Amino acid sequence: MNKPSAFTHLYRLGALFLVVIVAFLIIRQFATPSSWNYEVWYRGDALTEEAKKPMLHGGNDSCRSCHEDVVKEVKKRKHKKLSCEGCHGPLGTHVRGEEKIAAAEVSNQSRWQCLNCHEELISKPQGFPQFTDEVEKHKTIKEGEVCLKCHEAHDPTP
Amino acid sequence: MKKINSDSSIPDSKSRRVFLKQIVSGGATALMIYTSGVRGGHETSRIWKQRSTEHHWAYIIDVDKCIGWGGCVRACQRENNVPEGAFRTWVERYVVTEDGGVYIDSPEGGAKGFEPVGEELKAMAKRAFFVPKMCNHCENPPCVQVCPVGATYKSPEGFVLVDHDYCIGCAYCVQACPYGARFINHEIKKSDKCSWCHHRVKQGQRPACVEACPTGARKFGDLKDPESEVSQILQEGIWTVLQPAMHTGPSCFYIGLPKEVI
Repeated sequence: MNKPSAFTHLYRLGALFLVVIVAFLIIRQFATPSSWNYEVWYRGDALTEEAKKPMLHGGNDSCRSCHEDVVKEVKKRKHKKLSCEGCHGPLGTHVRGEEKIAAAEVSNQSRWQCLNCHEELISKPQGFPQFTDEVEKHKTIKEGEVCLKCHEAHDPTP
Repeated sequence: MKKINSDSSIPDSKSRRVFLKQIVSGGATALMIYTSGVRGGHETSRIWKQRSTEHHWAYIIDVDKCIGWGGCVRACQRENNVPEGAFRTWVERYVVTEDGGVYIDSPEGGAKGFEPVGEELKAMAKRAFFVPKMCNHCENPPCVQVCPVGATYKSPEGFVLVDHDYCIGCAYCVQACPYGARFINHEIKKSDKCSWCHHRVKQGQRPACVEACPTGARKFGDLKDPESEVSQILQEGIWTVLQPAMHTGPSCFYIGLPKEVI
């Protein structure tokens, strides 16, 4: 019988290493997504998935496709720069596809809706129109009375 | 011993002197090259490192125009399904008093607007202003560096995004962000943050918060277009970023940012 080589344990260790390395490479091949970007180190598909998320807000231009006349009219008024969806709610809850699913009425018509922007605060920029008691008619506001009783929402000139 | 030393020390000390001289001069040169390299590299990478992509997006916040109505925060919450109590963007109110005190509050992230400050504080107040905050989409994002699974990344166009499929919710990024812009979304148990409304921008729209802003305090645009509003404003050169000492190179630029803001 041949005497076993003095390096047998090293050969075995080498073989074991080889098996582990090959197994690692095979697992890595399957575990790494095909779109993996090795330069920036991210899953490329994540970016395309992110871009496909549905939009909820359509912007003022999206209102124009159905309400051209209203948008045109508001463009002449004081509140022309405002986002329609800021008060009326997002497009996504109003229209789905081409179908109207709910009215885009301003759900909260209380004083808060106006004071949200126009409440008098020391932290507001100078010159921004703010509610003040100095106006004669404001002195006689009763509890529960809304701004819209006198002011028009799209054109609330004093 | 003594003899050997004195004999051999003559040539040795000469070469040692030469060697030390070379070390000093070489070291000084290397230091000069290194520091100038770091400074130069830092300045160029801060903002004007032009991207090779079609667009180079930038966000501008004009503090002087913010009225703190919170519509931006509400629009963001709706658009991105942000859970209650978490914010991708929020508005802070700063009140600076005569004695140098700085009072900051942000009730519900400013989503419901702001109540007037107390009479006592109002009497002491010297200046007061609103500061909208959000993810700065840094050029060198610390959150991306620490992510152990490659779930957060900077897209080639400059959006810092989260891959929710790969995120393990370890919250390293939440700790790493010097702006507090990240949070753990407890509904999905993953890290979440402002995406600059990547999905909207890709479909030709502006981010929801910019769309909602009635005063133009928030602006978003393409630096590759020299006619765009953001290009024009940044060309004027009067802007700053939050925590510039962090060397993160934010892509959100502030105009009129008072020194009290951190």
